[in-house]
Amino acid sequence: MSLLGAEWIKLWSLRSVRWVIVVGVLVLVALAVQSSLDTYAEWPSFRAREKAMFNPMTEAFSGFSAIVVMIGAGSVGALTVAGEYASGLIRTTFTAVPARGRVMAAKVVVVAGIMLAVGAVVALTTYGASQVILSGRGAGASIGDPGVVRVLVANALLAPVSALVGMGIGALLRHTAATVVAVCGVLVILPTLFKPTVHQWANDLYAMFPFYVWRTCLSLIHPRDEAALPTITGSWIAFALWPLVAAAVTFIVVRRRDV
Amino acid sequence: MSCATVSGSVERVIEVNRLTKRYGGVTAVNGLTFTVRPGHVTGFLGPNGAGKSTTMRMILGLNRPTSGSATVDGRPFARQRHGLRHVGALLDAGDAHPGRSAAAHLWALARGNGLPRRRVAEVLREVGLEGVARRRVGGFSLGMRQRLGIATALLGDPSVLLFDEPVNGLDPEGVRWVRGLFRRLAEQGRTVLVSSHLMSEMENTADHLIVIGRGELIADESLTEFAARGAGACVTVRTPDPDELAAVLTLDGASVRRDGGGLLMVTGMSAGRIGELAFERRIMLHELVPRTASLEEAFMESTAGHADYVVGGRR
Repeated sequence: MSLLGAEWIKLWSLRSVRWVIVVGVLVLVALAVQSSLDTYAEWPSFRAREKAMFNPMTEAFSGFSAIVVMIGAGSVGALTVAGEYASGLIRTTFTAVPARGRVMAAKVVVVAGIMLAVGAVVALTTYGASQVILSGRGAGASIGDPGVVRVLVANALLAPVSALVGMGIGALLRHTAATVVAVCGVLVILPTLFKPTVHQWANDLYAMFPFYVWRTCLSLIHPRDEAALPTITGSWIAFALWPLVAAAVTFIVVRRRDV
Repeated sequence: MSCATVSGSVERVIEVNRLTKRYGGVTAVNGLTFTVRPGHVTGFLGPNGAGKSTTMRMILGLNRPTSGSATVDGRPFARQRHGLRHVGALLDAGDAHPGRSAAAHLWALARGNGLPRRRVAEVLREVGLEGVARRRVGGFSLGMRQRLGIATALLGDPSVLLFDEPVNGLDPEGVRWVRGLFRRLAEQGRTVLVSSHLMSEMENTADHLIVIGRGELIADESLTEFAARGAGACVTVRTPDPDELAAVLTLDGASVRRDGGGLLMVTGMSAGRIGELAFERRIMLHELVPRTASLEEAFMESTAGHADYVVGGRR
């Protein structure tokens, strides 16, 4: 418990972390409101087909919002590890608590916990705000509609998944700038570049990237059922595997290396 | 500062046993064996690159030895659950996150070791940083960061303390304070190991010295023993009649070097005997000064050939 407390203090005592979280949440809610207001204004001019294809969930939380969350949470997660190495604090930390595994476990729990809370707040407030606006046109999606809860859960999980992947990369690279670049590359840039191909192995490979499965499956109320696209079950597995592997990498490299 | 009373035989003792660390083909520390005991300030001396920091990091379990072992309180430090309560260490003044305030830095560390929050204020007061507790470490001068590092080391009221080059960046008042602090900590029965590459630092602080060069042990002895290793005792004599005195002393077995202006450097004879001989021959003396070799000289002499970085190329 005391180690959780220590990591909690470490995270919140950094002004940059507080700013990233507060500004990030405000920006994301603003994006949802602005996008929903646009749609509200243009709704009468939509054709029937456009109305039928309309996904109110991406109105609340778009692909751009997902990128903001992944880069923000990924960087915060990465810097909790890389920042300690880069500043030399890691030597003080491991002199104070020589059991490195316990320190990293506490870090994983605190970062994942805070990011899950932030992700949940973002998912619910963006949904709530857009709901208030879109329901005025009868274009909303109520929480009981099929798929809505799944999309909200996926939206909320993006932050902790990204944060833990960031931690793993931070533990591997231990250099702040390189870590942030790698986090953006792995979480956002690589999966954005891909389009389904005739090579199934490539489709399967990309079906393992969290952002890709979020974009092509989990964020949609009615995901398309095609062989080239990830399934819901496969998507959840990808969402689970990345943070688990990242946490394992964090433990292993931090315990093995000299500091 | 509240002082814990500790008793026992292996407690508070740092034991380094045939400790070796190789990085690729480079041997940083080579078969080092020594013991650091409580109640003294032990100086850990060596030229730059001698392996002092690497040794300290291995004692703390931060670096894994290639072979050999290091224990504190009779067991590897890495097995301790609350590190700060056993060993306090200042390794590098920069070992704190620049974005965090001094108080938050210490509070996180205290929390991880189950220490009460009041310790933060206590150690900040002890090192004279209470006025800047809320300021971020990134804005601290090197001297302030050294003080914060010392505060970190004191936080858990440990019985063993390691300080790696603690006086770097401190002003003269700070240097004096830190020397007094080390003495006090040792007098309270703690084990204090202080590294430095400057012999002059140790003259005023340490009672015992461990000297290493190129990762190997050169000396493990008391300060006075080590000083005696120096170029040998020497007496300087000033007289208006240097020729005659030189002849007399040489005849009696001393070796004499003329330094001009009536100054003689005499080795191999005590100041008392020189005075006697001069009195017998009625030679007037203006100056008769016995000089023990300085620690600096002893250090330079003993580490000659052990320094890794020498101006003008490797020796």
